[in-house]
Amino acid sequence: MVMQENDETGHSISADYTITPRFAVGWYDKWEESGKLYSEHGPEFNSLIKRWNLPDGQANIFNSTGAGVAIDGSKNRGAAWTDFLADYETRRIFSSYEIRAMYADSIESSIWQRARIGFAPYAANYNDVATWFMLQVDDHPNKNDTLVVTPLVRLFYKTMLAEIGYSSNNRLMLNWELQF
Amino acid sequence: MRKIIMISALITLIFSDTVFADTIKVSVNGLVCAFCATGIEKTFKKQAAVGQVNVDLDNKLVTINTKPERKLDDATITKLINDAGYQVTNISRKK
Repeated sequence: MVMQENDETGHSISADYTITPRFAVGWYDKWEESGKLYSEHGPEFNSLIKRWNLPDGQANIFNSTGAGVAIDGSKNRGAAWTDFLADYETRRIFSSYEIRAMYADSIESSIWQRARIGFAPYAANYNDVATWFMLQVDDHPNKNDTLVVTPLVRLFYKTMLAEIGYSSNNRLMLNWELQF
Repeated sequence: MRKIIMISALITLIFSDTVFADTIKVSVNGLVCAFCATGIEKTFKKQAAVGQVNVDLDNKLVTINTKPERKLDDATITKLINDAGYQVTNISRKK
């Protein structure tokens, strides 16, 4: 899987290899903006901690944990991050909550939260393009704008996903994901 | 002309994937999106016994057509779907 996110927090790209449906390893790079300008790079381990399979939906708890280096100009520091995401989705309703902690010594030390709610105007079947309208709320105390709201549209077809949105601090969001 | 049609029909019959032994319908909990469907489809396409697999999100149903002379038992189906991260609620078969 390859994923790129361009949003009001910066730009990131990650590539993951799924070892089992519950565990993947990958590489993560992010260039932070809208606050301290620095980047973080390193391997990341992604796991599905728990899944509830329901008759009309699914709920999950995921974790991503990585470690590597943070770079701020000529300054390099060891960095570590961990992220927990809980979601609940049916074919028409989506909700998620994510909390991420980042530590990179004198470069960065922060906790960031994100919540999303969304709905699909129709229940897409396997061969249809799925359309979602979502509202994302970010709370990241170390950024210039600590509370940011982003309405967005998510489209996905089979193994391709794209999201486009515009945030309350006037930044364009453009995310995409490809699964192989 | 008749001979050509008969030979063509025979060749189609021999090489066609549409000739299946069993049609297995598996009801699955947790099927909500195309990513789920793709995962299940990939899992079953890797199986030597599987000729065709179809995922129907509306009915939460995975339909598996086995190749002639090949078998896929319920325990294997359940394990494959569980390992893919989903839950089997029912399996029915039609010859």
